[in-house]
Amino acid sequence: MADGAPASSSEALSQDELEEAFGGDLGAGPGAEPSATAAAAPGPAPPVLGAERSAREGTPSFGEFVHGWELGIYRDPVLCGVFAGLVLGVLGVFVVLRRAVFVTAAVSQAAGLGVALAFLVELSWHIPVPPVAGAVLLALAATGVLSLRMQRTRLPSETLVGLIYLGASAGAILVGDRIAQESHDIASILFGTAVLVRPLDLSLVIGVGLVTLALLAVCHRGFLFAGFDPEGARVHRLPVRALDLLLWTLVAVEVSVTTRAIGALPVFAFAVVPAMAALALVERVRWALAVAAVFGALSGGLGYLFAFFFEFPVGASQATLALLFLLVCLPIARLLRGAAA
Amino acid sequence: MTDLSPLLTSRKLEVGYLGQAILPPVDLEIRPGEFWAVIGRNGSGKTTWLKTMLGLLPPVRGSVEHRRAQMNLSYLPQRKAIDELYPLLARDVVRMGLDRKWSFLRPWFGGEPPEVKAALDEMGVLDLANEPFRRLSEGQKQRVLFARLSVSSAQLAVLDEPTSAMDRVAEHEAFTLLDALRKRHGLAIVIVSHYLGMVQRFADRALLLDRDTQTVLTGSPAEVFGDHRFHARFSERPPRLETPEDGDG
Repeated sequence: MADGAPASSSEALSQDELEEAFGGDLGAGPGAEPSATAAAAPGPAPPVLGAERSAREGTPSFGEFVHGWELGIYRDPVLCGVFAGLVLGVLGVFVVLRRAVFVTAAVSQAAGLGVALAFLVELSWHIPVPPVAGAVLLALAATGVLSLRMQRTRLPSETLVGLIYLGASAGAILVGDRIAQESHDIASILFGTAVLVRPLDLSLVIGVGLVTLALLAVCHRGFLFAGFDPEGARVHRLPVRALDLLLWTLVAVEVSVTTRAIGALPVFAFAVVPAMAALALVERVRWALAVAAVFGALSGGLGYLFAFFFEFPVGASQATLALLFLLVCLPIARLLRGAAA
Repeated sequence: MTDLSPLLTSRKLEVGYLGQAILPPVDLEIRPGEFWAVIGRNGSGKTTWLKTMLGLLPPVRGSVEHRRAQMNLSYLPQRKAIDELYPLLARDVVRMGLDRKWSFLRPWFGGEPPEVKAALDEMGVLDLANEPFRRLSEGQKQRVLFARLSVSSAQLAVLDEPTSAMDRVAEHEAFTLLDALRKRHGLAIVIVSHYLGMVQRFADRALLLDRDTQTVLTGSPAEVFGDHRFHARFSERPPRLETPEDGDG
């Protein structure tokens, strides 16, 4: 099977182990669409604990989760959600402060199209293209186009963001239609219904995330000056364009790697909502970064658990939890502002 | 001995956009310690001229020469160019003034540099150091931004309408602070202002720009205000010297 299947982390375990863990009857994971999963390509069937299993055996128990965790089936996606949420939460503070929220959405959709195209190239021409490479390539291309900012048109730059979002979404669905064998994988990537995470994807999410955090830590003073007062920063001869390029490259690479692992919907949510909550809540950048990291990590981890125990789609659960954090933070922020005034 | 050679020289500098000049050529020299006021009506090309002098926009024709390639400049743009969404404390904003080129890569071991506290104290806003910048009043924000200028080790500070959101009293205080900065640090100042009374009181050089009539005048404020072309565009009478007591309330 192509290395794009979100459920293919089960390849790390034998069929016997999986059947032992799940009573010999493997279904879909939390939130996966059973029919689509069943139609997925060759290889060991992924564990399914969704509606189909519920109908047969009742809701998943904590014991099942612990057992699955010990086998590594649920550990990797939870860790992946936590780490992706943490890094995207931190990165999202810079994205929200740059007033470029929908850039992340457009870039994540472009990454989804990149994955779809990688599948298409492999299936049609038998040229193996790692899906994550397709995701990074298309995400960087989208970032590059967005950096042009429509200088030669009379249209506002937001229209270009909308065009890329629309084009990438439509393209991914059209490509997915031509590669029915992998269409579930593409749906997982676009809508964040990925249940399991391959060890390679987890390694990439952690590795790229650590590099992203390190570069943000090293360059944060430059990013802040260039964003707060770009002309003042240029007069101080800060490399404002290089800093912009670095920031959007980090966004493109981090978004594409995490999109491949957990899907576009939760990636967009993690890159926007925890930062919004943090910026509403605190009045200092360093605290905003810390709060966004915590909210992002909690949304990623607890969102997966919520999906598991209440049998909802994973990505939507993670995004909803992030929104709940925001909804709780907004009145608290208002109270804090009132107290400070 | 103080070097009084020009910090910045504009030679037949024409400014504009897409290769089209919007003003006649400007020749001038800005020397250490000078207080220049750039005046003109809205849309007269003042900000375009400033940005071209600073290298933020390319000149249409002519040139801008710096005394030294490494000369430190600082710029305080119009308030709308500063993004107040950023959750920064007053001290964070002042600290930005210390960063030049790639120095932001160097971590500050041992806490905040002492210049930050000294600059906040100099501008009378030390007690606001830990206040969120966006919650300060306009006058307080300008003092914090002046403190940023103070720590920046600049030889030339350029300010684009820094007092536009202030009442007359706050404006007078702002000009007084800038004048003190100039005298204490030997700083040359170029300021865009619509308040001609303050210009007459504090500036020693004035530059009038007018795009509509293609006028460029330089000289002392008295010389510029006494020119018939100034009267034609601004008033029948030269500006009255204003004091804070003249404030409109």
